[in-house]
Amino acid sequence: MIRFQHTEIGYHRPLLAIEDLHLQKGKVYALLGLNGSGKSTLLKTLAAQIPVLSGNLLINDFIVEELAQNANLRAQQIAFVSSRFEGVEHLSVADYVGLGRIPYASIFGKLTADDRQLVHDTLEKLGLSYLSEKRTLELSDGERQMVSLARAFVQDTPVLLLDEPASFLDFLNREQLLRTLIPWAMHTNRCVVLSSHDLDLCIEHDLPLLLLAQQKLNVVQGLSKRDVQQLLIEKA
Amino acid sequence: MFIGFTLVLVLSCLVHLELTKVNVLNEVQANILWWEFRFPRLVSALVAGAGLSLSGLLMQNLFRNPMAGPYVLGINSGASLATALLMMGGFTFVSSNLGLVGSALLGAMLAATFMLFVSWRIQQTTSLLLVGLMFASFTGSIESVLQSWAAPEEVKQFFLWNMGSLQQLTAQQAPWLIAIFGVAVIWSLLLVKALNAFVLGQEQAFQLGVRIKTVRFSILAITAILAGSVTAYCGPIAFVGLAIPNLGRQLLRTQDHLHLILFCLFFGAFFLLACDVFSLLLEPYFSLPINVLTSLIGAPYIAYLVLRRS
Repeated sequence: MIRFQHTEIGYHRPLLAIEDLHLQKGKVYALLGLNGSGKSTLLKTLAAQIPVLSGNLLINDFIVEELAQNANLRAQQIAFVSSRFEGVEHLSVADYVGLGRIPYASIFGKLTADDRQLVHDTLEKLGLSYLSEKRTLELSDGERQMVSLARAFVQDTPVLLLDEPASFLDFLNREQLLRTLIPWAMHTNRCVVLSSHDLDLCIEHDLPLLLLAQQKLNVVQGLSKRDVQQLLIEKA
Repeated sequence: MFIGFTLVLVLSCLVHLELTKVNVLNEVQANILWWEFRFPRLVSALVAGAGLSLSGLLMQNLFRNPMAGPYVLGINSGASLATALLMMGGFTFVSSNLGLVGSALLGAMLAATFMLFVSWRIQQTTSLLLVGLMFASFTGSIESVLQSWAAPEEVKQFFLWNMGSLQQLTAQQAPWLIAIFGVAVIWSLLLVKALNAFVLGQEQAFQLGVRIKTVRFSILAITAILAGSVTAYCGPIAFVGLAIPNLGRQLLRTQDHLHLILFCLFFGAFFLLACDVFSLLLEPYFSLPINVLTSLIGAPYIAYLVLRRS
């Protein structure tokens, strides 16, 4: 689903080089790395916000440059929950989640009956129906994070990127987040990449880990916490 | 709901026309009065109210700040300064209407372009609003300097323009104002989807497939066209652009910009028309400049909004 071929990534300057790596659909990858190792830069590159410096990056068989050019096509391939959603005055949860349909909407942004049904079903599946009519400013941190996830689900893209989705959540909500994401990715064949600092959580759910250290990106799975920490520190 | 709005608007137009009616001897005089006085004044009220409200809505969306507006971002100030330069800077073609309109439009455009460049350099909205306010106070002081130089006649002329008036538009200018307004309305209707996404911030809007730079430029261009032309023909009119969009969000409780645009157009036109009807009713006793009325109603409402927020 996401394929790197001699890809050099960085913001103006090269930050990391990835020789050959393929991220498969149906899986949730956890991106781990120390502060400043370039997790956000990598995610922004995957989101076609920052151009690759050299080499190829294919997202669902589209060259990333093409996605950078074609705004609507990009929004139909990649959903990105990039920053913490703070809520907007007078915007209801249902309307907020409905904005995920913008890449498919007609010129006035009107939702079709199917769109509204999808919003309704998604909220129900995530157990958020009770929030539907609530204003986004009135939500708790945990609710806002889940509602952002609902909006990304509704965008219905093969690739979903999440920048530290767990950081404002308590342990119960973190559990719920992963228990929602993992089956969703598996059953609907999506490729999810989430950055995180919560090593325990990622190992507990046996996620494939993308370790970002010393300008390299390695995929590991099934290692102990000690081993992973060792890998992250040693190489830095 | 919009059928109701249309009815109210049409009714207030009829009231306005009734109040501007003057007893005349013959048809020719009535005709002249209609084209030179009653019709342009009605058009001024409708277009200025709707246009300023729409440009306020767009600014508030772009800067993600409900306190933004053409007034706060210095676009009116640009128009005002250009007019002041023309009226009191010793230029003799002051009396030509075209010169006045052209300079105000040019000033608004320059101010909008200036703010556009500033917004490229400064990403923070608060800083941008501060630059706008500084710009407004800077142009204000230049105007004061000009006033101390200028002849009393010129100062008086500028002073009158600066108070805002719906009676400056001429019959020949009205079609131009309507045409400019029409283009701006259609252009903003084409942006509805992007405006809805902008509510979440420009980064999220980008993720939803919005062409950020194009939309940003469009919003600034529409605002400059609307605020610039309205200011040129009617003088700076305060608080309409700030208050009406806020009222719309508060009443409709939505961020759907199709509804908000329609509300701003209808209610903005109605509001300024109602203000003018009010001043027409008071006219036998004393005359109130339109700016005084909009500020009397608008300023307390904005203060209430700010207080409720904090």
